[in-house]
Amino acid sequence: MKVTLGKIPVLALLGAGIFATSSVDAQVASAMGKNSEPQGDTVNIGEVTITATGLTTSSRKTGYGVSQVKGKSVVSSGESGLIQALSGKASNVQITRSTGDPGAGAYIQIRGQNTVTGSNQPLIVVDGIPVSNSSIGGDIDGVVQQSRLNDINPADIENIEILKGAAAAAIWGTRAANGVIMITTKKGKKGLKVEVSSTYMLDEINREFAKQSKYGQGVNGNWVANNALSWGDRIADRSGTDEFNTTGRYFEAADGDKYYPIVKKGSKQVYNDANRNQVFRTGTTWNNNVSISSGSDKGSVFFSLSDWNQKGILNGNSDYRRTTGRLNLDYNATEKVIFSLKSTLAKVSSNRIQMGSNLNGLYLGYLRTPADFDNSDWIGTYYNDAGIGTPGSHRGYRRYLGDAVPAYNNPGWTLNEQVNSSDVTRFILAPEVMYKWAKNSNFIARVGYDESSDRRITYFPWRSASSNSNGAFTDNLIRESELSLHLINQSNHKLTKELSLNATLGYLATDRNFYSIGGSALNFIIRDQDRYGFFNATSENMTPFNSVSQVLNNRFYGTFDFAFMDKLFLNLGTAAEQSSTFADRFYSPSASLSYEFTKDVKIPTLSYGKLRASWGQVGVAPPAYIWGTNYVSASSASGWGEVMDASYFGGSIYRSTARGNPDIRPEIKREMELGADLKFLDGRISLGATYYQNKIDGAILAVAVPASTGYTNQWANAAVLSNKGYELDFNLAVIKNDKLTWNIYGNLGSNKNLVESLSGVGNVFLAGFTGSSSRAVEGHQMGALWGGKWQRDADGNLILDANGFPQQAAEEGVIGDPNPTWRGGFGTNLTFKGITMNVLFEACQGNQMWGGTMGVLNYFGTAEHTGNEITVDATKAASLKNVYGESIADVATADANGQYTVRGNIENFGGGDVWLEQGWYTGLGGGFGPVSEQFIYDASWVRLRELSLSYELPANLCRKLHIPGASLGFTGRNLMLWTKSPENGGLEGLDPETNLTGVSNGRGLDYFNNPGTKSYIFSLSIKL
Amino acid sequence: MKKKFLVPLMAGILALSFNSCQKDIKNINKENPNQFSDSDPTLMITGAQMANVLFNEGEAARLAGIFNGYFVGYDRQYVSYQDYNMTSGDFDNSWATLYSEGVAQCRLIRAKADAVNNKTLSAVASITEAHLLLTASSLWGDIPNTEACRDDIAKPKYDKMEDVHAYCIQLLDDAIPNVGGSSAYGNAYVSGFDWAEVANTLKARALMRKKDYAGALAAALNGVSQGKDLRAKHDQETPGAWNLYYDFCYWNRGGYMSCDGSHVSKLMDTASSINRNNAKTDEMPRFEWYFLSDPSEAYSPLDPNFYGIYYATTPFDLVTYVENELIIAECYARQSDNDKALDHLNNVRAEHDATYGTFKSYDIADFGPGSMVNGSSVNDALLMEILEEKYVSLFGQIETFSDIRRTKNALGIPVNTGSKLPARFLYPQSELTTNRDNVPTDQLDLFLDLDYFK
Repeated sequence: MKVTLGKIPVLALLGAGIFATSSVDAQVASAMGKNSEPQGDTVNIGEVTITATGLTTSSRKTGYGVSQVKGKSVVSSGESGLIQALSGKASNVQITRSTGDPGAGAYIQIRGQNTVTGSNQPLIVVDGIPVSNSSIGGDIDGVVQQSRLNDINPADIENIEILKGAAAAAIWGTRAANGVIMITTKKGKKGLKVEVSSTYMLDEINREFAKQSKYGQGVNGNWVANNALSWGDRIADRSGTDEFNTTGRYFEAADGDKYYPIVKKGSKQVYNDANRNQVFRTGTTWNNNVSISSGSDKGSVFFSLSDWNQKGILNGNSDYRRTTGRLNLDYNATEKVIFSLKSTLAKVSSNRIQMGSNLNGLYLGYLRTPADFDNSDWIGTYYNDAGIGTPGSHRGYRRYLGDAVPAYNNPGWTLNEQVNSSDVTRFILAPEVMYKWAKNSNFIARVGYDESSDRRITYFPWRSASSNSNGAFTDNLIRESELSLHLINQSNHKLTKELSLNATLGYLATDRNFYSIGGSALNFIIRDQDRYGFFNATSENMTPFNSVSQVLNNRFYGTFDFAFMDKLFLNLGTAAEQSSTFADRFYSPSASLSYEFTKDVKIPTLSYGKLRASWGQVGVAPPAYIWGTNYVSASSASGWGEVMDASYFGGSIYRSTARGNPDIRPEIKREMELGADLKFLDGRISLGATYYQNKIDGAILAVAVPASTGYTNQWANAAVLSNKGYELDFNLAVIKNDKLTWNIYGNLGSNKNLVESLSGVGNVFLAGFTGSSSRAVEGHQMGALWGGKWQRDADGNLILDANGFPQQAAEEGVIGDPNPTWRGGFGTNLTFKGITMNVLFEACQGNQMWGGTMGVLNYFGTAEHTGNEITVDATKAASLKNVYGESIADVATADANGQYTVRGNIENFGGGDVWLEQGWYTGLGGGFGPVSEQFIYDASWVRLRELSLSYELPANLCRKLHIPGASLGFTGRNLMLWTKSPENGGLEGLDPETNLTGVSNGRGLDYFNNPGTKSYIFSLSIKL
Repeated sequence: MKKKFLVPLMAGILALSFNSCQKDIKNINKENPNQFSDSDPTLMITGAQMANVLFNEGEAARLAGIFNGYFVGYDRQYVSYQDYNMTSGDFDNSWATLYSEGVAQCRLIRAKADAVNNKTLSAVASITEAHLLLTASSLWGDIPNTEACRDDIAKPKYDKMEDVHAYCIQLLDDAIPNVGGSSAYGNAYVSGFDWAEVANTLKARALMRKKDYAGALAAALNGVSQGKDLRAKHDQETPGAWNLYYDFCYWNRGGYMSCDGSHVSKLMDTASSINRNNAKTDEMPRFEWYFLSDPSEAYSPLDPNFYGIYYATTPFDLVTYVENELIIAECYARQSDNDKALDHLNNVRAEHDATYGTFKSYDIADFGPGSMVNGSSVNDALLMEILEEKYVSLFGQIETFSDIRRTKNALGIPVNTGSKLPARFLYPQSELTTNRDNVPTDQLDLFLDLDYFK
């Protein structure tokens, strides 16, 4: 159906699924695969734009830049998660995977960071209702968590619109500072169509740390059993066989292998490959999808079922299964009354592998394992000298007989014995009615409800490493919900012959709830049966916990879109918002102006040209519950580690030293944006360019107050941040005819953030460790990497000690910047006789990371370069000194030729060659030393993000098969990855697209993160 | 056309019904359901006392100990401390503990206790507050008091040292009649002490600093009696409960602080030329209680003994019978009453003899020119012996820092560097950053004497 009012096409309610204009029909057609106008994945100047209200408008009329991503390209990316699927597809929309774990969450950043302590994640609106994209958890240890947006089946998506700027998003007020992602799901189409698709995916690790294989476990050049380090003896110099004592104690593995105490280490066997193969496998995924679409004049139905069943690349309890169902309905009761319902259900279960700074984590135990230790048997029975067996014993390189708990888990234990499950149920419902109550007006009432519950179990069996050695488990249920009511009245007015007005008035109220309940149990009573119940611990070993929060919010808004002579468009908007987390109403005005100058000025080859400018104000709401001062369990600590903890003194609840602030107000972000949209040669070339700058005033953080007030800090609107940057999107239709279309497309974005002021706080810790962290630091970009530095003179040269080694500086400071200077996606798209090929490269340049893993592998002597040997003559041996000032000649003996061969590397810090060996790597030159500056790496990358091929079976073949159509496809993801080499400041061994602390505001940290993946995806889709 | 009214009607009903859910919008976040918004003062007092323990036993005591010749900064930042290289930032933590976890809580507790007429608790809060402020004023001199810890004042002004002391003495005087002889509400301390006695000794400390010996004597005569010491409780061998010196010297910062070459160790060590051992005094058992020289255990040639006086579960002395007796002894000596002074010195020696078995009572003949305890006169020798005994007895405590300054370093504690012992703590960086207008910025000098000790 098509409704026109006067001369203006009615703004289509695509988001609400109500009625569509012809331009929407065109878009639907293209989404059905009848792509008459092939376009790139990203189109900045598409035909239709969805506004922040969930309504659509003609893209010609918007005064701000918008990025659109088609549902089809989300599917073809082959990503399980919607967020990851957006990678590289829109300018200045930065997606960062937390890790390569199946179903792991990802971080979205649009135009830089806008708050210090609040969330930097955009608001997600699905079919006109706000939904959760939380990622709860994410610290330096534990497991990487999911992002709730990824509960949505990518195949259900018609279109994604990314509203980046303040003007575009202004009606969402305090939820819009980080942009808004508007997602529209599919609706039924005329007739009855059934589509079945099946996808099989193979995943592999894409980067691995290399380990040295020359030197064994131990220290000071001697093999030492159970030692943490790999600074032991030279394996090649060993006798050849281990000598055992078989008279007493031993460990018997589950498969019958026996391990006796080693009296003398002699074996030359190296297990790096075997240990590697224990940890990794080829991940596999089946993804099946069925959809039914139907429609008539009375309404439409879209129904889908999907099942994504993935086993991760980590060879153990690492999987992700998402089963979804969707029903989208519209029913035209009369010409004037239309009902609709969008509904989806998802059940997501997954198992995770512990990672990070965590004695129970995978990479920590795996990468620290010495080359001469075989990890293959991790569980079994330890028999003591008296022959008494202890079943369920844990064998690892820190306890090779399993006679006690190893300091670090055997990777096999981490992968197979520990359980970290997450079980999510999610549903989103959005019933709606629209009433066209006058010729030029319609009214919409929409209720949205989004609820998820996530039951998480963390289980460490008896004999796991660390404080979990007597067994530990946590059962946590997290429930989140958001109820929303959205009332919209939209009307069109022809004010004069040349001036028209489209007015929208709305009311939007939301009620967000969070509830978490659970408990922890330690010291299991029965140790050999895995039970996730509190009955397996005594009462003093149980700790229950719970927390709740509720935030209410409502806003009235109005947008007034004036169109003058169909070439000059002015949009004015404002919202007045009330919230339970701040006292005074928050107003978010916005204005944008666009001028289609090609209507007045004819420029050869320029078929369309628009200039646009906009300004808007949005905010970041304060967190709940910071109005008042809390009373907390008393605890006094000095900066040196001593603590007085009330729980040891009979308990005490006293006033917190953090003072509440009832006057807290939202952080205010004001943004100005200028841009142009151009099409050349009848639209063969299209180009969009945007420049923006914004400033965030009153960013909330806890500022220091004089302790003599009785408090040490107080919540305040104290920080000032700013961002500025540009965005470019282009599409070039190189060839466009009936048989062949070839497009080249791309996008480029750059953002420069600045923490202008922290009101004297200096810096704010965001995530990481005491010695190496990501912080907000005055005068730097948000997330600046912070840690120990080398001592330098005024010119920045290292101040060396007497032996020529650098020294630790007295103070810590900024050592790196995790923010890229630019990011972009470039691709090409080719269609020829039913064959479609899409290639997408993505680049992220100028960002740095803290390679904490590498630093620690230096310390342990397992990093590949720590196994290097140097051979020098007598003169050099006398002059090359280690960090203690000992020369090679002092500690080593010459061979028959007078040559000295020693383990280590030669380095020159500026004072001549020095000898790096165990003393250096386990001291200042290692990751446990105080200088983290040396582990800052250039984390720039370019990758072949996506290579996809699909083939539509020819129509005559389909006729023979009695089906309307079918296609075969292949997608390769991350097939190629280019990073900086170590010589150029890069880090080998991992995909730099990772973050230890997940979706937190602290960025660019690596410390035994689980690795990233590359994928091969095969798909078959049949229309029935 | 009637249908047209349906729209506003429907909108109105929906908005109203939803708004009724939203009527609490102004209130639901006022109170945090996951935290308490108030507490009972009887539950708060232990927290304030823990802050008092951390303040008197923690970083402030270590830094004062380096000034006093008790400790030697040996590694990392403590190496610079040994050379008196300190910055304002080094005092932030102690200051924050003092006010936000100590004084502020005491004042809240007192107000809440007064409101329910719990006089004992109110008095205990007053004694705890006076204890905190008296230590603080002895370190920094002028400090915020009258405007401190008030929610209506964002930048508290500083009060004169004299006024802070007067305020504390008044707090103690008001508290004494209300605490009886009990140790009620004293969970952070080893039980068995007597609040009134503690208050009197604290008062005597304050009066000693201004050389009001008559006043100090009067107070001390009602001060801590034998077996009624106020000692910080550390009865569990776990971080959060255990001795704070143990935590620092052994657990968290092993090797940072030594006693190797410290003045106090030289006074006690028979191998040292300045040792104070004599026919009636053998300091070696006490030396071994104070110091650890076992190379397989110690981080330096001579460590603070984290297996003795600073073992995990050794209580820490805060206000003791020994200190009180030595105050009395000094006051009598100052009044030239040598016999009474000697009696009280001998009380202390008897106490030590009970512990170490190596201290015999002195006779008056043991003092004077050429005697066992040498001095220009009997009185002078006795006075110096009392001061020295206090210096050694209060090893690791802050109060001797006042004695050294009050007596113009009569004991001749050697400087680590330069020509003068530090005379005070620096005002913390946190105050300089956030309350600069009120900080006496003319006093930002580690060697500038406090009013009382000029």
